[in-house]
Amino acid sequence: MWRRRPFWLFIGILVLLFLASACAQQQPQVVERTVVVRETVPVEKTVVVEKTVVVEQTVEVPAGGELVTLVARCKAGSVEQGRCNNLISAVGAANAWLEEQGDNRRIQVKTIQDNKDWGEYKTEFELAFQAGEAPDIIVSGHEHIGDWAPAGMLVDITDMIDEHPEFDDVIDSLWESTKWNGRIWGVPQDAEARPMYFSKPLLKKLGWSDEQVESLRDRVFACEFSWEDMIETATQAVQQGVVEEGNGWWHRPKNGPDFLYYYYAAGGVIQDEQSGDKLIMEKDALLKVYQLLYDASQVRKILSPNLLGTDWPDWHTAVSSAQNVLFWFGGSWNWPEWAANYVADQGGEDYLWENVGFTAIPCLKSGTAKPITLTHPLLYMISSQSEYPDLALLLIAKATTKELNTTYAVESGHLGILKSQADYQPYKAAKFLSEVLPLLEYTTFLPNSPYWSQWSEAYFLGIQSVESGDLTPEEAVDVVIGQLENELGDNVIIR
Amino acid sequence: MEAVVQEQAMEMVARRRSWRVSLEAFSFMSPAMVLVTLFFFIPVVLLLWISLTNLSSNTFGNPLCVGGMRDFCESLGIRVGRVEFVGVSNYRRLFADRFFPKILGNTLFYVFTTLIFFNVGLALILALLTTHIERRTGFLFRAIWLLPRITPSVIYIMMWKRISADAPYGILNQFLVPLGFEPKAWLKEAPWLFVIITNGFVGASFGMLIFSSAIESIPRDYIMAAKVDGASTLQIIRTIIIPLIKWPLLFVTTYQTLSLLASFEYILLLTNGGPGLYRTEVWSLTAYHRALQTYFGNNQWGYGAAWGFVLVVIGIIFSLIYLRVFRFDELVQEPKIDAL
Repeated sequence: MWRRRPFWLFIGILVLLFLASACAQQQPQVVERTVVVRETVPVEKTVVVEKTVVVEQTVEVPAGGELVTLVARCKAGSVEQGRCNNLISAVGAANAWLEEQGDNRRIQVKTIQDNKDWGEYKTEFELAFQAGEAPDIIVSGHEHIGDWAPAGMLVDITDMIDEHPEFDDVIDSLWESTKWNGRIWGVPQDAEARPMYFSKPLLKKLGWSDEQVESLRDRVFACEFSWEDMIETATQAVQQGVVEEGNGWWHRPKNGPDFLYYYYAAGGVIQDEQSGDKLIMEKDALLKVYQLLYDASQVRKILSPNLLGTDWPDWHTAVSSAQNVLFWFGGSWNWPEWAANYVADQGGEDYLWENVGFTAIPCLKSGTAKPITLTHPLLYMISSQSEYPDLALLLIAKATTKELNTTYAVESGHLGILKSQADYQPYKAAKFLSEVLPLLEYTTFLPNSPYWSQWSEAYFLGIQSVESGDLTPEEAVDVVIGQLENELGDNVIIR
Repeated sequence: MEAVVQEQAMEMVARRRSWRVSLEAFSFMSPAMVLVTLFFFIPVVLLLWISLTNLSSNTFGNPLCVGGMRDFCESLGIRVGRVEFVGVSNYRRLFADRFFPKILGNTLFYVFTTLIFFNVGLALILALLTTHIERRTGFLFRAIWLLPRITPSVIYIMMWKRISADAPYGILNQFLVPLGFEPKAWLKEAPWLFVIITNGFVGASFGMLIFSSAIESIPRDYIMAAKVDGASTLQIIRTIIIPLIKWPLLFVTTYQTLSLLASFEYILLLTNGGPGLYRTEVWSLTAYHRALQTYFGNNQWGYGAAWGFVLVVIGIIFSLIYLRVFRFDELVQEPKIDAL
């Protein structure tokens, strides 16, 4: 027994070392240096989830000048790192502008990026703010203005944007998404569209001719192929065994902005000029949405009652191959994701062009009878804790150029946010972006209201309950209205 | 006169001794008291306070800076936000929520099913089995059973998610389809089964260890004598082992009830309260969802705290019931030999 003690001691130490090494977290490395005149400061930026990218910032500080470090926080998936990288790339232009103005301050940027869920990402900013450690710039969904502006966490930039002519180039309609209380709280960083994708081989298997498949895009725009037709086609596909039960039509597998356009398509209004911050729930539109989803999942069996809750990778794997699901509603940013991560071994984007088509969300004839989509612009917002909001806005302005934004848009499948991009050759040359751009004609937005999150949770609860068959559409409407009244009281208008 | 003085002196000595005993007792208890105060009483008071405010993402500020304290806080440079004292309105909202009975029912179902079948039931079976086989083999088996407990929760649940993944994926489907079964989305078809199994496999290990050591400490003479008298194994378990491990059994039942009431991380990672309409949503998960996790991130800390505080009250009620029904005071009675 005693002879074995060293052996067990050795094993114990090994286990402890293993545990200690497992517990040790790799911290993002931040290189900060005291800058002297005419020195190039290399900054290593660690993208926590994906990979380490080295981006050069050239910072030249005049004698007696001040080097200001701005911190930017971005949410970035595998193809969306340009959100923060563009800020780093804009440092040179920002500092040149300061030099031109005779301002002795110079900027350098520290960035933090990962791909957290929106809820966690938003909470992190709020807790950082309460701790007095909020980043100077945060890139986040425009709807977060509804919470952060009233809570005093953001800088009102309405009177500051005129100082930067770059902002004149931003597409006018996108500014609407940056407003709360009539004031502007952020600068558009990206935009996107949410198309209906379809599988070309499965449609052909169903008996569609090549011409019918290729013309589907235009027929949707012309409202000749409606949401109801899509459901009917998916039903045929299930009945004829072209796709398995539940695979006729898929939507996203989690809550998210998409579901709001169902309500809009059904004729629902969520905010109007009189409502202010209060949100509206229209029972008729709500019932139409729930009836449609109940019919698809419980009656026609084209939508799996188990779809909600599916993990994203399983969802992407199933749809991107174009061999399992006939129609699916996704986002424009999915296209490069599929090409890079899901069908790369089958030919990447070429495979997608060959097998996957996309168009607007078809018109709901029983609703507004117009094609629809939804854009969820992300904004550069400036924290009210920033000591240098003017420099933060300057940096954002210099990142808001057709060159930088186009690089980001092409890489990430997001739409341009600038008027000048329409004629910019690299943007025009991006086939996917050009073809998805017409969808913007039918776009809608989320509301910027402090009550949106609760409205959305209650609405989604009804979607979950009708798809799972736990409630009928009428019961779901009652439940959701009850929840909204209990949760929001006077801040929701039921009509 | 002398007798009176002597009596008073004795009284004083007795009082001093009693003081010293009390002081000693308190000094022994003080580390535990400090911990309980720091990590239970103060958080509970803060939780109660937050539940009486409208603290949320769009009112964010220091929850102590409400009413008359606002000016004082501002003078100290503390961020006050728009947080306000709202009395019991969060509780009114909670009890008016039409899913409140369903969530309470889910919680009781989850706690007692897991407790009966796994945390106490399976734990006892494992302890009995591993103490009735060869000692080393029993030890090895218990060590293996501890693996889920020492596996990080996220990895443990990721394994279960892969096991139960929707058709055509899923390890379960890979095994069952060749046997002629229809591939299924197991986790969505039988969410409670997986919620209870994942919690139960981990939870059983705690009871297994406590019961095993309790069984091991039973003098072998009792078992031998019973065997000599011709008792079967089942009779030995029923009439000797179970009565002799009564206190560990009661302790594990109580501890695990309270622990399950507050636990939600496996459910969060596995089903997130779904599928469908709050099918596996339990109380503590609702508190978490309200306070910290919505898709668009409007965190309602005040309302979530109300759910949390009610859970504390439920936990205290259960503790009192267990203390009373299981007569824990008998366990902590002074030894009779000293009382004499």
